Amino acid sequence: MNELVNELKLQLIDALNLDGMTPEEIDDNAPLFGDGLGLDSIDALELIVLLEKNYGIKLANPAEGKEIFRSVVALAEYVGKNRKK
Amino acid sequence: MTIRSYVKLTSDRIVSDRPVPCFSGTGRELLLSAFRASGISYPKFHKMDTLSKAGFLATEILLEGSDGRFVPREDRAVILFNSASSLCDDRHYCKTIADPGNWFPSPAVFVYTLPNIVTGEIAIRNKYYGETCFYVLPEPDPESICRIVSDAFQDRMTSSAICGWVDCTDDDTFEAVVFLVEDCIYEENALHGGGMPWNMENIRTILNK
Repeated sequence: MNELVNELKLQLIDALNLDGMTPEEIDDNAPLFGDGLGLDSIDALELIVLLEKNYGIKLANPAEGKEIFRSVVALAEYVGKNRKK
Repeated sequence: MTIRSYVKLTSDRIVSDRPVPCFSGTGRELLLSAFRASGISYPKFHKMDTLSKAGFLATEILLEGSDGRFVPREDRAVILFNSASSLCDDRHYCKTIADPGNWFPSPAVFVYTLPNIVTGEIAIRNKYYGETCFYVLPEPDPESICRIVSDAFQDRMTSSAICGWVDCTDDDTFEAVVFLVEDCIYEENALHGGGMPWNMENIRTILNK
């Protein structure tokens, strides 16, 4: 799980162009959107593409996003259970 | 109109009449080190393009510790100028879609292919709901800057402005000269505020610092 959390942090930094940010600076449990990492709707699109491209996960129900993108840990749990590659 | 304070941030130095954060290195390294030394908690900074980072950080230094910071207001405008527009990001974006076999128009990249995004970043951070605009000029021209900013104060709302020259030609070559300008007559011996008159000569002097 820790390995996947770290892998996702690195992918977030790359996909969202978080220039100069290190994985250690991303709190495992902090909200990804709003406060915390401060992501916005444009970033949500990047995350959906990231899941499909890197893990073969297609988000069928956009409403799920709120829970899946709650934090890096929540994202890792979802990827762990639903990944196709 | 009075210039209350100013900041000039370039690829290798920061000059201001305000306290300046410690920094090391040049270019992107300078931006990151000064941001970290400022102790600002704003993760969105890392997402910004270099043009926005330079304008944002210069404005943070300009406004650090100022009264009423982050109280929503409509009477402060953000008026910026440059000559390279968003060329640096346009080039970057073109590279990301150049390979016909492996391309993706990343929103995180193309959102910055407009120069006025930096005015929005400053307005969002500081909760400014007044005028924001960005002008692309052939060169840093004190006459145009002085006239356009002065004109902005002719509406019934604007009483102050964050304005100046914010330009970026590549990720390690940038310049952000920002002023806090207020709609009040400059008084040489004023008890509060200080500063200097808003005029072409003073704008030129600060641009050339």
